[in-house]
Amino acid sequence: MFSLSELENDALIEIFNIGVGQAASSMSAIVNEAVHMSVPSVSFINRAEAARLLDGKSTEPGAICGVSQHYEGAFSTEAILMFPEDKSLEIVRLMVGEAVSQKELTEMEQEAMCEIGNIILNSCVGTLANIFQRELQGSLPAYHVGTSDEILIASGSQADTVVLMLHIDFLLEKHQIHGYVAFVLDVSALHDLKEQINLYIARAMGQA
Amino acid sequence: MTSTKTVLIVDDSRVSRLMARQYIGALHADWIVEEAATGEEALVKARAVGPDLVLMDVNMPGMGGIAAAEQLRQELPAIPISLLTANVQAATRERATLLGIGFMEKPITEARIAQLLSTLEAA
Amino acid sequence: MMNKLTEAHRLHLLHSVLCAVNLGAIVLDGERRVVLWNAWMIKHSGLGHDKVIGADFFAVCPGLRGGRVESAIQHALYNNFPSLLSQTLNKAPFALYASPAAAARDERIQQAVEVRPIAVEGAARHCLIQINDVSIAVGREKLLREQAMVLRTQTFADGLTGIANRRHFDVAMEKEHRRAKRGGTPLSLLMIDIDHFKAYNDHYGHQKGDQCLIQVAAALAAMLRRPCDLMARYGGEEFAMILPETDVEQATLMAEAIRARTQELAIPHERNSDAGQQVTVSIGIATQRVDAPAGIEALIGAADRALYLAKRNGRNRTEALLPA
Repeated sequence: MFSLSELENDALIEIFNIGVGQAASSMSAIVNEAVHMSVPSVSFINRAEAARLLDGKSTEPGAICGVSQHYEGAFSTEAILMFPEDKSLEIVRLMVGEAVSQKELTEMEQEAMCEIGNIILNSCVGTLANIFQRELQGSLPAYHVGTSDEILIASGSQADTVVLMLHIDFLLEKHQIHGYVAFVLDVSALHDLKEQINLYIARAMGQA
Repeated sequence: MTSTKTVLIVDDSRVSRLMARQYIGALHADWIVEEAATGEEALVKARAVGPDLVLMDVNMPGMGGIAAAEQLRQELPAIPISLLTANVQAATRERATLLGIGFMEKPITEARIAQLLSTLEAA
Repeated sequence: MMNKLTEAHRLHLLHSVLCAVNLGAIVLDGERRVVLWNAWMIKHSGLGHDKVIGADFFAVCPGLRGGRVESAIQHALYNNFPSLLSQTLNKAPFALYASPAAAARDERIQQAVEVRPIAVEGAARHCLIQINDVSIAVGREKLLREQAMVLRTQTFADGLTGIANRRHFDVAMEKEHRRAKRGGTPLSLLMIDIDHFKAYNDHYGHQKGDQCLIQVAAALAAMLRRPCDLMARYGGEEFAMILPETDVEQATLMAEAIRARTQELAIPHERNSDAGQQVTVSIGIATQRVDAPAGIEALIGAADRALYLAKRNGRNRTEALLPA
């Protein structure tokens, strides 16, 4: 299984924290409230493990809400923001300011969830691309709901694909919500990532 | 010719601390860079070392950068503090301004460090 | 010669198509200057080409500086990423109107916006801002939601009086409190209590007591003027009125009107020792000011204390207190 050294891990977490920090700023401007987001940890797991991780966190097994975007160019990945469905409803409710029930999650609120995904994913990947000085292009968000396995499969990943899993802590109005961003990466993308992290660290140490 | 100064860099990310050290060193090779990984550690170090500048990451587990900065302001008001964050929001900005604390945006770059240090020297 | 004409023809065709499409299209160059502003944009913004082409986008739309639209433009131009601005989270960011009449009412078109990077040969990346009019869809959703609300009022209605019940009050209070914070508007709460109601029940019996409640509730609910105002039965003989976007002066006027209206009902109450043998109410007013937001409990607490003050000061009156 792919893994990073402690320093490489540290660097990656720091980069993603910068990314979600900027996303939190954007979201804060929308709701006119303080929004805090952080990435306490990352892990590299295979798709089956990722599915188990997500399913374990939701109150209703199999109800996950995901927003995915595809990125291409210097490397290729499918990025998916995921929350247990009840939590995603909570986020939309907090951002929109209205109470919505599961059944009522209309197209309009799905669109809101898509925008939230668009903000967070673009921020994360954008920061990554800027720090690694790589050129990428992205897609518009797509909304999925279902089991985590279904959502991960929908991204076109193989069963043994490696998933870079970001744990995300989201805090708005004293509501603390835990979600995930999954990056589905193939072997070459993984090695590219490791290489880029090391270049970044080398620059930090004054060796590049 | 600026005299040797001491900068305390506080960040739970080791890579961030390395980066800050690297960029400060590139501009002022003779300056001393001290490190702390948490807010609590920062206070201990600051009391012991009496730095000329503190760079404090906002997003840290435990005490957190803003609480640590407030405490530091109370104990050692003469030390300039700059908060490091990717996420500057209105409420945070107000609180910082009230305390007389500045901001530096992340990611940490050589240019940003250079600008911060030049404003420090001007003061 | 033939080729040149075809090329010019093609360009003209593409240009005509862009003008004919039924959505707003804006293109910005790498310096964020407007290089394309289609006919739909001209029609709905009231700004012609002379005002916008070549100008800095944020000079044309200064209100969008520092917001989601600017951030989306940055992502498109510098990161090559597209962005989606949902209608749900971004209420009509652009000043676009369906008609001059709508413009006069400052009623903007409901917008769904997309910002996309556009690669240009031999020049820095441009971006395309696409604006869709989703007013109809929004209207339809609003209607559906209102219908759902109507169905839901079965469980939100007080069995006796038919007005909103305590549960409805709690839900509405949370919603209006959040809305007031979002919108930076004042929020007022009135606590209305029928004076000497126990004595009324004891003297006239519980059936008459119920009728009295029904009558008072109906009269007061009829005084609500806006759809966001809510009158609810808070307790046995206590009512609460939520008045969003209402400051302390307006709330006081409303409270006084309620007090007067109740008196006008002239429901006989021989056991009302404080006022001319008629049913009267005491009212506590609390307002959350824009510059001093308070929690929901603090607001209700203040209204309660104001009500208590009104009772102590002789009943059949209104008192106002600020949340602590």
